[in-house]
Order: sequence, then structure tokens, then C-alpha cells
Amino acid sequence: MHSPLPITSKLAKPGLSSGKRQGIAAASNSTLAPKSFLQTDVVPLLLSLSGVSLVTALLLLLEQTVAASLVPIAYLIPVIIAATRWGIWPATFASIASMAAADFFFFPPIFSFQVEDPQEVIDLLLFLVVALVSSNLASRLRQETETLRQRERDIHNLYDFSRRLAACFTVSELVSAIENYLSQTLGQPAVFFAAKTDGQLEPPRSGPVPKVVKEHASLAITAAGQSVRSVIDVPTQDVWLLRMVSSETAILGVVAVNIGAGPAETLENGTHRVEAIVEEVSLTLQRIDIEKAMEDARLRLQAQLLRDAFHGTLSHELRTPLATIRGSASVLDSIPLIQQDSRARSLVEAISDEVAELDRFIQNLLNATRVTAGGVTPHLEWADPRDIVNAAIKARSRRLAAHHIETEFADDLPLVHVDSGLIEESCGQLLENAAKYSPSGSTILVSVKSRQDDTILSISDQGVGITADERPQLGRRLFRSQRHQATIPGSGLGFWIASIFVGANGGSIDIASPGQGLGATATITLPGSAAKPSEITVVPNE
Amino acid sequence: MNRPANNVLLIEDESKIRRFLRAGFELQGYSVIEAENATDGLKAATFSAPDLIILDLNLPDLHGAEVLERIRSWSNVPVIILSIVSGEDEKVRMLQAGADDYVVKPFGMAELLARSEAALRRYFKSATENPVVVAGPLSVDLVTRTVSLNKHPIRLTRKEYRLLHILATHVGLVVTHDQLLKDIWSGNQRDNIQYLRILVRKLRQKIESDPNRPRLLVTESGVGYRLQARFEDIAAD
Repeated sequence: MHSPLPITSKLAKPGLSSGKRQGIAAASNSTLAPKSFLQTDVVPLLLSLSGVSLVTALLLLLEQTVAASLVPIAYLIPVIIAATRWGIWPATFASIASMAAADFFFFPPIFSFQVEDPQEVIDLLLFLVVALVSSNLASRLRQETETLRQRERDIHNLYDFSRRLAACFTVSELVSAIENYLSQTLGQPAVFFAAKTDGQLEPPRSGPVPKVVKEHASLAITAAGQSVRSVIDVPTQDVWLLRMVSSETAILGVVAVNIGAGPAETLENGTHRVEAIVEEVSLTLQRIDIEKAMEDARLRLQAQLLRDAFHGTLSHELRTPLATIRGSASVLDSIPLIQQDSRARSLVEAISDEVAELDRFIQNLLNATRVTAGGVTPHLEWADPRDIVNAAIKARSRRLAAHHIETEFADDLPLVHVDSGLIEESCGQLLENAAKYSPSGSTILVSVKSRQDDTILSISDQGVGITADERPQLGRRLFRSQRHQATIPGSGLGFWIASIFVGANGGSIDIASPGQGLGATATITLPGSAAKPSEITVVPNE
Repeated sequence: MNRPANNVLLIEDESKIRRFLRAGFELQGYSVIEAENATDGLKAATFSAPDLIILDLNLPDLHGAEVLERIRSWSNVPVIILSIVSGEDEKVRMLQAGADDYVVKPFGMAELLARSEAALRRYFKSATENPVVVAGPLSVDLVTRTVSLNKHPIRLTRKEYRLLHILATHVGLVVTHDQLLKDIWSGNQRDNIQYLRILVRKLRQKIESDPNRPRLLVTESGVGYRLQARFEDIAAD
């Protein structure tokens, strides 16, 4: 009626309610133990017996006197092996068999169970005690190892589970992950009905569930407070256990486990066991916050879909018409008839300018999605900071046309080890901001110098500057100062993108301003690298 | 150009883009053949013997890279890539696969024409047999190995000349870092891009009027370098 040993170790799984769980484990140990002997497999007993026979045969090959001195030690070998491999009962059996064999073959009178010398009686009894004690110790060691292994498997399962949870994009994926975890932990088919926001239940993922179980699952969430209910599926006679899982704020769903059909006694025992584990599992589910995981999964899916749509389709769909407009305008521009007509020419120019503007805007959005997707992996190589600055200025020449751009490069600038594309983009963003927030005709100064190992790239404007309360908010996505929202167009993405791109290269961005209306200086600091380019300058020339 | 009209083959699936490309090329005296997918494009490349191919990477039936590879298996005809992705890696890959240059959409016609002319000039180089490459105020005599700036001869070290020589034979076209490193250091320093950066710096000191704002030897970030054929190229962009 009681199940074999492995259940004990199953119950002894790690989790939160350790006190309670250990209570269960201990109880089952004490009640299960005496009965277990009868249920122990015959094979280990036979193997133990053959171990004892083998030792006997080997000892018989030796000389009588030598064998007699080896007897007590030699027989301990099969006993310990039996204890470590098969547990306490085969070991006890092996001990008794060993004692009998020793008495029969090696203690005079030989080939009889009688013992002449009282000293030898004590020897035999002593052997039995030692054998029993050591087999007990060895089997306990075995149990503990087994428990540890099980615990390791459980932890592994749990770890796998939480990893799978983090990768789930849809509620159905999440439910499959939970079901998978339940089945692995319980060793029996289990399903999970996830609760929807409207109080209904999502159907489980893995296989069909009898109608009656579904009905009771819906009942289980309405009748709060009841812990475990069992349902019999009449056609198959399978017994299902249902338990509601909830967090402090919401009902998460219902776990249903099929514990199979069978005599009432077996089922009762199975029920106890599964109840304990389901209890455990629901605590785990609460702890890892399924509620939040589900919400996260929904959000992740939406974000992912949006990003994919934007990157794959939109960027292509938006840029192809842009390419057509820009290209067509440029062809128009080269037609002599249009070149001669200043009005037509200015119209064509306006088209080109606006297209360039749109293209930059799309590029910004693409950069922003790239950043939110966590996809900024810099491709580092040695670059000349002058090239980076010049490229940034050139790429934005239209937007900077109304300003004087001055560049100042220190002599002997070291090369920098960065992703030049990312730094160029960041520098361009800062240039754009400088142009946006300073009057036309004013000067923007870009200077690059090195300080110790670092390379400092700064962009100074003569614009509106930054006030003390705006300062801490810079660098936040979509932050735009109240002062300029009405007058200066922008998305508030630029500085945020720039700081993330620079950060990905191991650098930092800073903005300083003497005050409102006094201009601002944005600074990109790029860390120096171990290999000093100044050391290399000598090499390439001969 | 005095020769009969150059044939340009456009392999591009967007009809509206083909339309302006055709107009742009025809205005400059090219004759144009169009193909709207890779299959037609490959057929036309074989049977119409174009002098120049403009190849879009994003084709419905076959990726542009595959098309380029097939064309390169039998022909050296100049190929310029049109791409909507501006990733440096892809540019480098296409150049190494044998593309002569690339233009990222959206682009202006002037930019594409400049690249096309440069590619054609290089393709017909052997026919013209003019050993002197002129780029703005700079002229490089490939036979006598003399370089002059505004008609004044300048002295270059051997490596500086080697760099200028490669760029001059590709005047107007981009040359990848990899190719430059391979040619200048014969494969010994292929990973040491910083050597190249330093060498470029030194060469710029000698040929640029303002080495801090180079107009002749320009950087194609993440890809390589380009010797500008004409100064207008910069303004036109």
C-alpha cells in the first residue's frame, strides 16, 4: 500500500516551506520503512547473496589459516557494496548471510553451523554488529547522495523553468513552460489553466483535458479558500487533483494533475504525495510571480512585433519611396530647363531638403528601436577622431548650413579604439542639438583633444543653454525642455541615443552650461586603450 | 565621353526607382537596359554586354550578393551596388565579393553618376593608356612614379606612394581597408588598421591643403578610403 522509497526523496524536494516539507518527509520515512523490506526487489537480494558467495569462494581458495584471519574483513566488502548500491535491506541480508557462511566454512567445526569456541561466538556476533552498523551508515550515505542528486535535479528544473519564463513571448508559451515544469516535478501528467483578466480560464496547452476537469477548474477559482479538490473522470476512472494558484493580488490559475486510476488505497497515497508537491509548486509559481511574467510576456510580444515590423518592413517601405523622391528630385535638378528657372530650382531643392530631413528622422527611429532592442554591439576598430568628426559634420551639412562650424584638432591626436559609426552618429546628434538650440549665424565649435589617455570631443554652441532643473533630466528618453517644446521641433530621442551609443563604446557624455542663454558644451569622453598609437607611429614608415 | 554611348544595365525591382535611374543616365548620354529581377538581370548581363551594371541588393528572386557572384564568375564588368541597409559589414562584404562601389539609398543621382564614371574609367583604363591620374590639384604619374600638387612635385616615402598608387588606380572609387593593408604590407600587417590610419595621416599632411579637413583622400567610415576624382563630388553630395 505504501509506495516504494523514491517517493520519500521526491517529497524531500527543495522549496520555500522547508519546515513543513521536512515534516512530511520524516513522517513518511518512519511509516514507510518497516514495510519496505517486503517490497524490496528480489534482484538486489540475489546480487548481495552472490557477492557473499564470491567472497566465500575466494577465501576457500586460500590456505585455511590465512583465510581464517581474513574472514571478518573480507565479508565486510559485499556488505558495504550492498549497502551503497541497494540500501539497508540487501545489506542486512548480506551481513546475516556472511555471518552464516563464515561460521559454516571457516570456524571449526568446519561445514557445520555449530561453534566450539565461545571466543568465536563473540567474534561472529561482533562481526554481525560491525556489518550492520557499517551497512546502516553506508546506506544512509547512499540516501543522502540520492537526496542531493534529486535536489540538484529540482534546482536545475527550477532554473530551467525560470529561464524559459524569461524567454516566453506569449501566454501560451508561458503555460507550456509551467506545464512542463509541473510534469517534470510531479512525474505525472499535469496541466495549467491560466487565469485570464476577465476571470475565465485559458485552456491548457498539453493535450486534451476531460470536460469534467475543466468544469471543476472553473469552480476552483470561484470557490476561493478551498485548497485541493479531486475529480474523477468517469469514462477513464482517472483521478485528477485540482488546486488554485494565486498571488496576494490575483488568481493566477489552476493546476490539474492526473494521478491515474487504481485501487482507493494507492490513490489516497498518491493524493497525499501530489498534494504536497502541488503545494510546493504553487508556492514556487507565486514566488516567481507568474502574474508579472504573464504581463511581461504580453508586453515583450507586442514590443517585439513592433520592432520587427519597424526594422524589417517599415524601414524598407519608408525608405524606398524616399529613395524614389530623392533620386527623382536630383534628376530634375540636372535638367537644363529647370536649372535655368530659379523658381523651379528652389522647389526641387525644397523637395531634396525635406526628404533628407525625413530620412534622418527615420534613421533616428531605427537607432532608437535598435537601442531598445538591446542590440548595440560595438564593432571596435582603430579610427582617427578627425575622420569621425568630419564625417559627422558632412552627414549633417544641410542641417548645419545656417551655422558656422569650426573645428579644432589638437596636434598629435591619438587614434581611438571605437565603433566609428556609433561615435559618428552620437557626435552628429550633439551637433544637431547644438544647431537646433542656437540662433542661425552663430558659431558651433567642435574640438578634439587628448587628456592623459582619454580623447575628449566637445561641441560648444552659443545657444539657449541649460537651466539647473533641466540638467538632471537630460539623457532621459523623450525628455524635452518645457521652454522649447512650442518653438523647436524634435523628438527628444537624440541625446538619449547619443549617450547610449557612446556608453556602448565605454565612453561617457556630459553636458555643461554656464546658464540660461549662455550656450552649452556637450562633451564625449572616449577612454584610451592599452596600445598607444604613438608607439606605433614609428613603425609604418621606413 | 567620345566613345559610343555606354550601356548601363539596371537590375532593380522597384519600377519607380528604375524610372528615375533611366532618366538620370539617359540625360548623361548613357543607353539603358532594365531588368526587374535577378533572372532577367543575369540574362541581360550575358546577352546585352553592358558596360556597367547597377545592382540592387534586395531582389525578389535572388539576393544581390548571389547575382554579383554569378556575374563575377565570367565577367569583370563594373558593378555598383544599391543598398538600403547602410551597415558597414555588408558594404565591405560586397566590395570584397567584387563590387566596384556602392551607393546607399536614398541617394542623389550625381553621387551615382560620379561612382559610375569612376568605375567605367577604371574599367577602360587599359584602353585609354593614360598613365597620369588627376584628382583636383593632385596628379600622379603611374609610370614615372612622380606625384605633384598644384604642378609642384612632392616627395613621398615608399609606403605613402604605395597607398596613393592604389587609391589613384581606383580614383573616385572606394578601396577597402583590407585591400590596402594587403597591398601595402603584403599581408604581414593585415589586422593592424592603426598602421594604415597613421600612414593616411602622414599622406594627408603632404597632399591636403587642410589635413584636418581632407577633401582629396576621404574616409569611408568602417569601409575604407577614396581618392576623390573631382572636388565637385563633395559639394554635389
